[in-house]
Amino acid sequence: MTSNAPAPLPADAPWIVMKFGGTSVATLPRWQNIRELVASRRAEGARVLVVVSALTGITDALKQLCSEGDQDKRRAAAGAIAQRHYDLLAHMQLPLPAALGARLDELARLAEQGPAAMGELAWSALVQAHGELMSSALGAAFLSESGLPTAWVDARDCLAAAALPNQNERTKLLSAMVEARPDPALAARLAAQGEVFITQGFIAREAAGRTVLLGRGGSDTSASYFGALLKAARVEIWTDVAGMFTANPRQVPGARLLQKLDYEEAQEIASTGAKVLHPRCLSPLREPRVPLLVKDTNRPELEGTVIGPEVREHAPSVKAISARKGITLVSMESVGMWQQVGFLADVFAHFKRHGLSVDLIGSAETNVTVSLDPTENLLDSDAVAALAADLAKVCRVKVIAPCAAITLVGRGMRSMLHTLSSVLAEFGQLRVHLISQSSNNLNLTFVVDENVVDELLPHLHELLIAAGALRTDDAALFGPSWQSLYGSGEAPPPAEAWWREPAQRKRLLALAAEATPRYVYHLPTVRRQARELKSLAAVDRLHYAVKANTHPAILRALAQEGFAFECVSPGELAAVAAAVPESAPLLFTPNFAARADFERGLATRATVTLDALYPIEHWGELFRGREISLRVDLGRGLGHHEKVRTGGSGSKFGLPVEQLDAFLRHADAHGVAVRGLHAHLGSGILDPGHWGEVYGQLAALAERIGSVAFLNIGGGLGVPSHPGEARLDLAALDAVLRKVKAAYPHYALWMEPGRYLVADAGVLLARVTQTKGKGGWRYLGVDTGMNSLIRPALYDAWHEIANLTRLDEPATGLFQVVGPICESGDVLGSDRRLPEPREGDVMLIAQTGAYGKVMSSPYNLRGETEEVVLDD
Amino acid sequence: MTTTIQPRLTQAFRFLHARYADGVAELAYAFDDGEPLVERIRFPAAPPLPAARQAAFDAALKLLHLVAGVSYYKAGVPPKIEVADGPLDADTADLLDALYLHGLAEFAYRNGLDLRGRIAFPRVGSAPSPLRGEGRGEGPTSPQAGEGRKPDARQAPSLDLPRRTLVPIGGGKDSLVAVEAIKSIGGEATAAWVGNSPLIAACAERTGLPQLNIQRELAPGLFELNQRGAWNGHIPVTAVNSAILAVAAILYGYDSIAFANERSASVATLEYEGQQVNHQWSKGYAFEAMLADWLHAHVAADLDYCSLLRPYSELAITRAFARLPQYFDVFSSCNRNFRILGPRPADRWCGQCPKCHFVFLALAPFLPKPRLLAIFGRNLLDDETQAAGFDALLEYKDHKPFECVGEGAEARAAMHALGERPEWQEDALVARFRGEILPQLDAARLALEPWLRPSPEHRVPARLRPALKAIG
Repeated sequence: MTSNAPAPLPADAPWIVMKFGGTSVATLPRWQNIRELVASRRAEGARVLVVVSALTGITDALKQLCSEGDQDKRRAAAGAIAQRHYDLLAHMQLPLPAALGARLDELARLAEQGPAAMGELAWSALVQAHGELMSSALGAAFLSESGLPTAWVDARDCLAAAALPNQNERTKLLSAMVEARPDPALAARLAAQGEVFITQGFIAREAAGRTVLLGRGGSDTSASYFGALLKAARVEIWTDVAGMFTANPRQVPGARLLQKLDYEEAQEIASTGAKVLHPRCLSPLREPRVPLLVKDTNRPELEGTVIGPEVREHAPSVKAISARKGITLVSMESVGMWQQVGFLADVFAHFKRHGLSVDLIGSAETNVTVSLDPTENLLDSDAVAALAADLAKVCRVKVIAPCAAITLVGRGMRSMLHTLSSVLAEFGQLRVHLISQSSNNLNLTFVVDENVVDELLPHLHELLIAAGALRTDDAALFGPSWQSLYGSGEAPPPAEAWWREPAQRKRLLALAAEATPRYVYHLPTVRRQARELKSLAAVDRLHYAVKANTHPAILRALAQEGFAFECVSPGELAAVAAAVPESAPLLFTPNFAARADFERGLATRATVTLDALYPIEHWGELFRGREISLRVDLGRGLGHHEKVRTGGSGSKFGLPVEQLDAFLRHADAHGVAVRGLHAHLGSGILDPGHWGEVYGQLAALAERIGSVAFLNIGGGLGVPSHPGEARLDLAALDAVLRKVKAAYPHYALWMEPGRYLVADAGVLLARVTQTKGKGGWRYLGVDTGMNSLIRPALYDAWHEIANLTRLDEPATGLFQVVGPICESGDVLGSDRRLPEPREGDVMLIAQTGAYGKVMSSPYNLRGETEEVVLDD
Repeated sequence: MTTTIQPRLTQAFRFLHARYADGVAELAYAFDDGEPLVERIRFPAAPPLPAARQAAFDAALKLLHLVAGVSYYKAGVPPKIEVADGPLDADTADLLDALYLHGLAEFAYRNGLDLRGRIAFPRVGSAPSPLRGEGRGEGPTSPQAGEGRKPDARQAPSLDLPRRTLVPIGGGKDSLVAVEAIKSIGGEATAAWVGNSPLIAACAERTGLPQLNIQRELAPGLFELNQRGAWNGHIPVTAVNSAILAVAAILYGYDSIAFANERSASVATLEYEGQQVNHQWSKGYAFEAMLADWLHAHVAADLDYCSLLRPYSELAITRAFARLPQYFDVFSSCNRNFRILGPRPADRWCGQCPKCHFVFLALAPFLPKPRLLAIFGRNLLDDETQAAGFDALLEYKDHKPFECVGEGAEARAAMHALGERPEWQEDALVARFRGEILPQLDAARLALEPWLRPSPEHRVPARLRPALKAIG
């Protein structure tokens, strides 16, 4: 027996329903693909029911035909539609199957007749149903011909539309519903007819025998109905993407594939923005507990998303974040309105009368705020004005728009609130108009101003991962990122950390044996990072922001790489001057610097940056005849923590844009030429688009100032520390910068990265002093803490921690890694999985080349932490 | 020349030459003995010029040379102006003196300069009447309504130009209203613009009209002068574009140039030491009349230059624009120069500048609120930080901003209309208007309706006059 003719299936073999959309059925190669997939399911020992959409474009063509008043044009349209099917048949080298011929004849007849005889809606439904009737007939012929005997099933004989109250003729015929429950008789009847079947999506039949349509998302819904009727082993939706993601990949390229969801979570995600599945296609499967699998037709090897009954063996996690735009809020305020029977009923009656449907609701004793989704009625009629006029008679009303609803979805949301503090802090910076949390505990929704969403969403996604609220470390739930599956120009995977190489590890252990704590800097890593940045062709001058690490060996190495240097104090200027050659350009960018600091800065070769009105207003003569750079505040900040954000009114940096004219008048009066504009919005930013925006905004400002020659877009290039965080894509960054540069070629582009150059190069070595158990917690003590490295305490920064002595041993214990400083905040890392330690083991804290030693303090008088440099 | 010119210390601004060949006009200027500053204007797919139009073309090109010089002259504002091919006739000298004086009035105000008595183009015969134009934002003549033209005016020959119209597109609402008005009467028109703004290109594309995109390359030397401390500021760019289009009309064959400058463009922004300062002087009626008469007299009797929107207030125009939803997602009147377009409202509207404030306010009475907010991507009237900007529009506590925006009374009428609407009245700045500003105003002068009535004052030629009906 060959693989093409497996053993006959028993009558009670399980069913698999497979649904293919319009693009999947439009070409011969796609049909060959379908054949392979169906055959593989049959080979699993299952009966297969294939549900198909119309060939891509055919449903639209049929709709167009329906709207055509002229008989000749309808006839021509039907002819063109038939031709699409003839063409595909020709590719398949198939003769016209009789079943398809009959459908084409009937379509021609319907086009000829027009709507008069049947009534407009019933005729239109029947005409549109032909898309699926024809594609399924064609598919039956192709599959049977290619050795997979396939029976054609008329979906209308299986799916009976339910009669619902409040249904008008239009909804009855064009967006029907089916109550699908397991029907063993139907399953048995089909099982007697064969093993592989094909039927139509989108269509059903009502009690009076007329053909009806299932409306939007109809083919997926048909597949679910069949899954429920047959109580299938699973329903597979084959589409052009591998499943549902933790966010819309167009907004968040780092969104992760969701490998497992329960029905309710999936429905919530589908309802709040994901377009992969129509939300209504899940409810038919819930009661019969039939799982649904979303798969990518082009990449069948990818896991896809399985949606099934609730599973309890996973830690609670946020599953997805979504945004819906174009939302209008209506806020109603009245002191006397409560306790009044029927007040809300009256209020909502106004919404109904003006045809506006309410989505979210938030209420207080004296205020009710509701959200309205964007509809044509809302945007293009006076419905909102009329509603407001009616409501104004009984309460104060305010219409707030345009808003966006940002929704976090995950089962057990309320139990995760404590993990969301960094996310909630982000919302603290914004105008939040409404917060809604439903009693099903699946979601948490914030309504904010729409214009913040595009930048906010990727940022929140990062924060959710960093906060451990979106548990991307759970590989059973979360698959690869969209970028790694579908992205182009994917950044190469990060090079393995230098200290993991056996030879380097040995050297580090030897250095630790001499003394700890010690910082060790690996210059080849500094050089590698420097060379990476030099690949940014759009950037004309790179400065090393020396505040990250002022070790002379690092300064010299970067000078050799051709870097310029950015200093923020006279002390840094002196340190740099002592280490680098005269030829290296300097930039002096102090903040709230004293007059004397400027005097000292001006005495060097550095280009001086001003970032306030005060110095030019009060010490203007100091700068007479000078060329300066001006740091402006573009009015918003970004970054991984509030304390590393350096833009926006809440930050002390930069001249507010509205004071620019005043600054220029003072500058002019003192013969000072503003040669450069500078902005720097924050640190740890991983989204390339951000620098493009800063660059574009600076360029637009520069156009108002004749004298500007360069634009300095700062640094803040993110260094991923957390597992699952994508690296900054330098090629993408360069592309963004080049695009802006093409528009403003007359300005030189400067940058001033710091941490990006040196973070990975440095490690902090410490030794285990002891362990302690306390309740369920285990503490691992090392011989230095926040006195050497304050970033975890100051910024909640995450640093990888490894037991260098036992690098290859399994990580079995969960530890709080702490130092000896008398502060409860002296924690270098929480909840770290590490091998069982012994006193004297060497612990390595990674990515400490930046803001480590330079931010260390004598606190507790534990002495200086030494620095050691490795040059190879 | 290798000496470095210090622009603010120069003594003479010199018009060197204007040449045209193969679709490229070359305009040359210099300060003192400095390197020539050469500007190039590229006319795409330029047809060969018919001999019959040569004289008209030469006259238009000479005007362009003189008008475009304003971009360079302002870098140094030297005391003397020299024209290499000899002094100008009185008409031309009057036009240029007025343009440089009034068109640079804001520039002068901002830089603390006084240009009166400093601008004198060389002219044949007697010196100009001593006080001509000074202290009067309206310029030298007060033009008559309608076809107004002095009966004794000199006439250039008629060239039998094709009956079609160049409509300059700016990316904002006004020119789109003008385009649709001309389309409504089946008029043949071309969407024309100067420069490479992607915003304008997107709007021009959306009009569905044939397009004419002329490129203007400023002399690179100007950038260097700026670096050396040149004076900087607003120039009457509409005058430069008008002169470019006059050349284009003769070159390609158009009988009319229909701008979209509205009534309030003629109103001065402020008065400063006895001189009226109007940010949009070259969009005003006085300049329109002077240039139109000059073109009839020196270029072609059948080349009409007008503004189709002259009879209308900003509010009448925003009302007309509110009926053109096909442009809502492409247009922008924001004065920030968006060289890179994006899909979001914030990629077209900065939300901070007077233009954003005014267009938002003026459209609000005529559009459903959610639709308006979708255009801008935010609600500028519910943002307290924008109070000063709107105050300036209302001429409350401040003068009108230096922008192409409507009159203060017009803004007050629009704000008052919103104050009467429940869906607007709780918004921060509308509520503030009702509580703080409205009680100080004369309620009788806040009606919207009078602003919607057209005025009879315009120079729209007979052929295009039916288009005015479409505007309202």
